[in-house]
Amino acid sequence: MTPDTPIRDPHVILRVIAKFLIPLIALFAFYVQFHGDYGPGGGFQAGVILAVSVILYALIFGLDEAKRAFPPALIRVGMSLGVLLYGGTGVVAWMMGGEFLNYSVLAHDAIHGQHWGILVIELGVLTTVTSVMLAIFYAFGSRQPEISDEDW
Amino acid sequence: MILALPIQAAPASPLISTLLLDIGLLTLLVIVAFAIVRMRSLFAIVMLQGVYSLVAAAWFVTLDAVDVAFTEAAVGAGVSTVLMLAAMLLADRESKPIPMNRQWGPLAVVIIAGLAMLYAVPDLPAYGDANSAANSYVGTDYLAKTATEVDMPNVVTAVLASYRGYDTFGEAVVIFAAGLGVLLLLGLNGNAGHFRADVKGRRLSTATAPSGSAKHAEPDEVSGGTARNASGVPPSITQYGEGTL
Amino acid sequence: MMSWLSTHGAAFAIVLPLLMAAVVALLPSVRRLAWAVATLVAIAVCATAFIVLQTQIDAGVIVYEMGGWAPPHGISLRLDAVNAPILLLIAAMGVLSLVYAEPATHAEVELKKRGPFYAAMLLCIAGLMGMVVTGDAFNVFVFLEVSSISGYTLVAMGANRDRRALTAAFNYLILGSIGATFFVIGVGFLYAETGTLNMEDMRAILANLDGGSRVAQVAFGFIVVGLGLKLAMFPLHTWLPGAYAYSPTMVTAFLASTATKAALYLLYRFCFTVFDPSFEYVAVVLTYVVTGLAVTGMIFASLQAFFQTDARRTLAFSSVAQVGYMLLGIGILSVAGLAGSYLHLINHAVVKGGLFLALGAMWYQFGITRISDMAGLSKTMPITTAAFTVLAFSLIGVPFTAGFVSKVALAEAAAEKGWWWAVAVIMVTSIIALFYMGRMMMVAYFSPPPAECLREDGKVLRREAPILMLIPLVGLAMMSILIGLRGNVILTDISENAARVLIPGGGL
Repeated sequence: MTPDTPIRDPHVILRVIAKFLIPLIALFAFYVQFHGDYGPGGGFQAGVILAVSVILYALIFGLDEAKRAFPPALIRVGMSLGVLLYGGTGVVAWMMGGEFLNYSVLAHDAIHGQHWGILVIELGVLTTVTSVMLAIFYAFGSRQPEISDEDW
Repeated sequence: MILALPIQAAPASPLISTLLLDIGLLTLLVIVAFAIVRMRSLFAIVMLQGVYSLVAAAWFVTLDAVDVAFTEAAVGAGVSTVLMLAAMLLADRESKPIPMNRQWGPLAVVIIAGLAMLYAVPDLPAYGDANSAANSYVGTDYLAKTATEVDMPNVVTAVLASYRGYDTFGEAVVIFAAGLGVLLLLGLNGNAGHFRADVKGRRLSTATAPSGSAKHAEPDEVSGGTARNASGVPPSITQYGEGTL
Repeated sequence: MMSWLSTHGAAFAIVLPLLMAAVVALLPSVRRLAWAVATLVAIAVCATAFIVLQTQIDAGVIVYEMGGWAPPHGISLRLDAVNAPILLLIAAMGVLSLVYAEPATHAEVELKKRGPFYAAMLLCIAGLMGMVVTGDAFNVFVFLEVSSISGYTLVAMGANRDRRALTAAFNYLILGSIGATFFVIGVGFLYAETGTLNMEDMRAILANLDGGSRVAQVAFGFIVVGLGLKLAMFPLHTWLPGAYAYSPTMVTAFLASTATKAALYLLYRFCFTVFDPSFEYVAVVLTYVVTGLAVTGMIFASLQAFFQTDARRTLAFSSVAQVGYMLLGIGILSVAGLAGSYLHLINHAVVKGGLFLALGAMWYQFGITRISDMAGLSKTMPITTAAFTVLAFSLIGVPFTAGFVSKVALAEAAAEKGWWWAVAVIMVTSIIALFYMGRMMMVAYFSPPPAECLREDGKVLRREAPILMLIPLVGLAMMSILIGLRGNVILTDISENAARVLIPGGGL
């Protein structure tokens, strides 16, 4: 977390501002996720924004720190979990006697079923998109030991 | 890649200011596109791609396709720029100039495809035409039905998640497939390794022997017959550790 | 269960491999676990596809409304006599490739990557099947992307064997993406013209508009070019030889037998169901452009196949030539021509899949990729070589094999239309096929095995492929003979039914 030589750290302003911004970006991601029913937004956009908050963390505090927060093993599970959540909703609809992804059968009435279904599948999209975006960043980022200052 | 159906609710005759804005934004898009093609510095190209997406997002807003605009801004201008930068850092900083004789083909494709689209323009409905096929048939039905069938204020979400939820499922799988791709080819820790496929019997030909000479350790697998024990791992792998993918 | 599958089977056959891919990707790297699960899933999918085919034969047309939304508002799967057999074909080739994968892939992909590798394979199977069963034009694009993106990854995995797989996969990715983009631009124009994405609905609206305006014409052009790239129509085939030559052996066999076939099915669908050859622009494009490219491709790709030194590149160029036959069948614009094309599609999937499996077995045992290295294989790998020979005869079109039946059907259709030059081209390219396949068999039968394969007492060391490789290989070889002997009974019926569905009026 702390750099080796904190006093000569040339990026102190960057780090302080980022620490302030990252939680806000993550919070915005969840706003986009859950406000998607009312305005523009949804799982794809929210997933991307959530991934960006972690990527920003990785860019400023280092990839290893980011990997401690979101370990690659977890990312792998997340990639699959999102697809399973989405498809699982469809499978539950099958078990309740409807067609695949027919959310109307999920609850006591069709409208509630639709709302439940959309909530869960958007969560599935969020999980997969966040995980895959991070996976791609980790995959490329891990190949370069450290991004030197000259490269920016 | 991100599915979104722009359901336009634009006025039949757009304001002259909107028209000017559209022309301005589209001009900017063309300029940026030409700049991207002409540039040699990959860093500048990646940045300009972000600019392109941002301008495109602004243009989508003037078309009243805010969902598409939001996606373009988040994906195109946001995360793809970062991912392209991460990829670019592994490559050269400058692209090599491409000899002109290799550019005629792509140029011809672009010109022919562009002319084909221009050919269709006279028969396309006017912008915002409420009687156009795209606005009057299924689109209108979605607007009318969503309130009673899905009860969702944002009709785009209702279409994406419910009416066309199977498409969105497919899109999620596409993204998952992309994740599998990087996992298999690069590995999440930069240690995808240099496994060398080997034949079971005796190799009769050396014509297509892989250039990478290292074999990867596979201690719990002996089905291959020949010994596949690691015979030296190049430093580029050990540098980043030998974990799981 | 059976009655549930007869209703929901079409969706189940797509969803099961998609979801199980997510599971397989997470399986621990334990010996054959990922392979076993993936193979069981493929078998279940194949059984489902069989039930679906049965249901379709009984019902004529199956429509499955995804999410309970009726078309055109929701996405529907639509199965008729055209796509139900192709669904089963893809599922069956998936099973055979996966059975074969146990020895093959285990020599080519390391243990820790096998989970994601088999997951990508399941996604590819599901994507191709999803493209075939759907009745929605945009949904085609989505599943096209599922199959393509997993396909690029699978091809690139051949880098463990030959680093050239990476450039081949990159070429495939760039050209495949351009093809998909052209396709989706075409679908966008079609949406602008018709206001719907449902293919049946599009057909009705376009027929009402008598072919539609310039927008529909441009849409048709973009869709044909986009699908042309995907199905390796000459001269858009440049991605194919590399992708087939350097990908893992099992992947080559699967892609060669299914990927271009699924795209070809979509071309049938768009040319004959969504659009109609009675629209002047469709007839012009099919008669002059597609037929012209088909014939040019048959001749040029056959000649190119003859001049290859790598066995898999020879077969890859031969695939481009065979796609030419199928496109020629489309260009004839008659029920007979289309039936011949459809029959050739199924036969070629069986034959080319089998041939690539045989070459994979030869690589597995001896690392053979070049034709000149095939010396003495008839003695060192007799069963593999025998199966290879049968399949090669079928590719050439020797009587009593699958290839003969479909080539004769195509030639008859061309003759019926008075296209004697097309009959001549079919014969000439078959003779070229005799030369390029014969060259391999000459080496395999008449050249002595290399010294490494001789035992000390002078006898030849037999090194037959493992049983799991032989089962799918011999199965496909026997299949091609069965089609040749009895095929006129079952498969000809299937292909004629398919052609009649595509051209309800009986053709021009």
